[in-house]
Amino acid sequence: MWSMSSIIRSRHLWLLAFVVAVLASSALYAQYQRQPPDFGESYSLPTPEHPEPRAAWVRIFDIAALVAGLAAGAWLILKRRSRTGVVILSIGALAYFGFYRKGCICPIGAIQNVTLSLVDPHYMISLGVIAFFFLPLAAALLFGRIFCGGVCPIGAVQDLVLLWPKKVPQKLDRALAWLPYVYLGLAVLFAGWGLHLKIGDWQIEAGRRFLICEWDPFIGIFRISGSFHMLAIGAGFILAGMFIGRPYCRWLCPYGGILSILSRFAWKNVHITPNQDRDCGLFPEACPYGAIRDRRADRGSCLSCARCYEYCLGQPELRSPGGSDRLVQVKLP
Amino acid sequence: MSEKTTRRQFIDRSARIIGFAGIAGAAGLLARRATGNAVYQVDPFKCTACDLCRTSCVLSHSAVKAVNDFEKCGYCMLCPAYFDVMSHPDEKGIPAGKVCPQDALKRRIVGTVDEDDPNNNYYEYVVDEALCDGCGKCVKACKPPAGNGSLRLEIRYSRCVECNECTIQTACPDHAIVRVVTPGLPPKESPGDVEHV
Repeated sequence: MWSMSSIIRSRHLWLLAFVVAVLASSALYAQYQRQPPDFGESYSLPTPEHPEPRAAWVRIFDIAALVAGLAAGAWLILKRRSRTGVVILSIGALAYFGFYRKGCICPIGAIQNVTLSLVDPHYMISLGVIAFFFLPLAAALLFGRIFCGGVCPIGAVQDLVLLWPKKVPQKLDRALAWLPYVYLGLAVLFAGWGLHLKIGDWQIEAGRRFLICEWDPFIGIFRISGSFHMLAIGAGFILAGMFIGRPYCRWLCPYGGILSILSRFAWKNVHITPNQDRDCGLFPEACPYGAIRDRRADRGSCLSCARCYEYCLGQPELRSPGGSDRLVQVKLP
Repeated sequence: MSEKTTRRQFIDRSARIIGFAGIAGAAGLLARRATGNAVYQVDPFKCTACDLCRTSCVLSHSAVKAVNDFEKCGYCMLCPAYFDVMSHPDEKGIPAGKVCPQDALKRRIVGTVDEDDPNNNYYEYVVDEALCDGCGKCVKACKPPAGNGSLRLEIRYSRCVECNECTIQTACPDHAIVRVVTPGLPPKESPGDVEHV
């Protein structure tokens, strides 16, 4: 009995509370409509426009453009040995992947997506990102760093601004060449886990973040906007890149680090002379990136820019009748 | 061919095979749980319209814009998202200030017009996307109980560049930027069934 009456009483209480609430908010209700009014024939509700995401075919087109770029790069660099062709290809890559796609969908950043997706199975990764991460790696096993030379917009922008190449001491160059692996390690650590350290009173607590994307020097330039530190670093790299060949690619790019390891085992790679067994070694300064070692293009650090071909006396067009003049003009160091 | 070159070639070939196997294995593993179209969107149930969408996007003009859902809009005469209801009213009793700093919310009279009594009319509110910077002041003002919650922030796919990592997602204190698999409309009915990170 007691329980029954308590239910009744509580229901009454609830009703009372409801009545009070309605009375108190009736002024509010009078001012503001709860439902769209019935307009009759005089007006019909507009439908808000919701733009669709990029269609599937556009995403597939991105992957197709990457495959085409890699194939064209391999052909131009290894078969045609054409510097002009490589420049045209990299301008195209800069225009499409850089300025049109604004540096988004990029293998360098994809390192982090792939890491996070391996660490956290709930993280959603798209097929496009997977293709962009793995296809240049496979291409590096076949043909060396053709991605760096012809398809990467970040490489292209640095290659195009290199106007007055200066030589970097070899020791410094080789010491700095370890930085990409440090950066790669940090990027993987932060993308997958973040940093949680406690040594005594000293403590670091940082969540997951995509360092490469936050500190990329060139996407700010592609987007013509960005935070101050990004644009400042970008301008710094562009300025330095006018004198020093591709500083980001050689000493910072974490994806370049992976490509460098893989391209050491490449099936075909850049040979300065068309004849693989004979390297004359006349022009060690032909490479602005310090990638000529022991008279050959170093497989790990050659960025496939095709510059050295123009110095080579064995280049087919130099052997043609018109080319004999150029043979005479070649200046010895 | 000396013995050394042969050994070098052997190492190269073995490394290539291992490399290809590794690449194919990792790519296959990831591809099995990959989604074709995963896009970022604002979950309106979590969003508190904190203004970070305006400042955090990598684009100078944020990809996030306010959108009015007309099926929920009350077509009020005194829209709390349009008028700054705390500002001083003019002689007709209409607040002088507006909520939108960009003046991107456009108001026009619709339906059968009653010339004599402005209170008896209905008004349509449309966001001018070219002006809207995604600050969300109107969205905040439209939240219940003052408003119907018809205005909400939405990532406009026509502008979003789909970064590897959405900088707004990183900045959002409410974890309101989610990745949705179904393209098209943002989550509407139940917030629970949206797959996200």
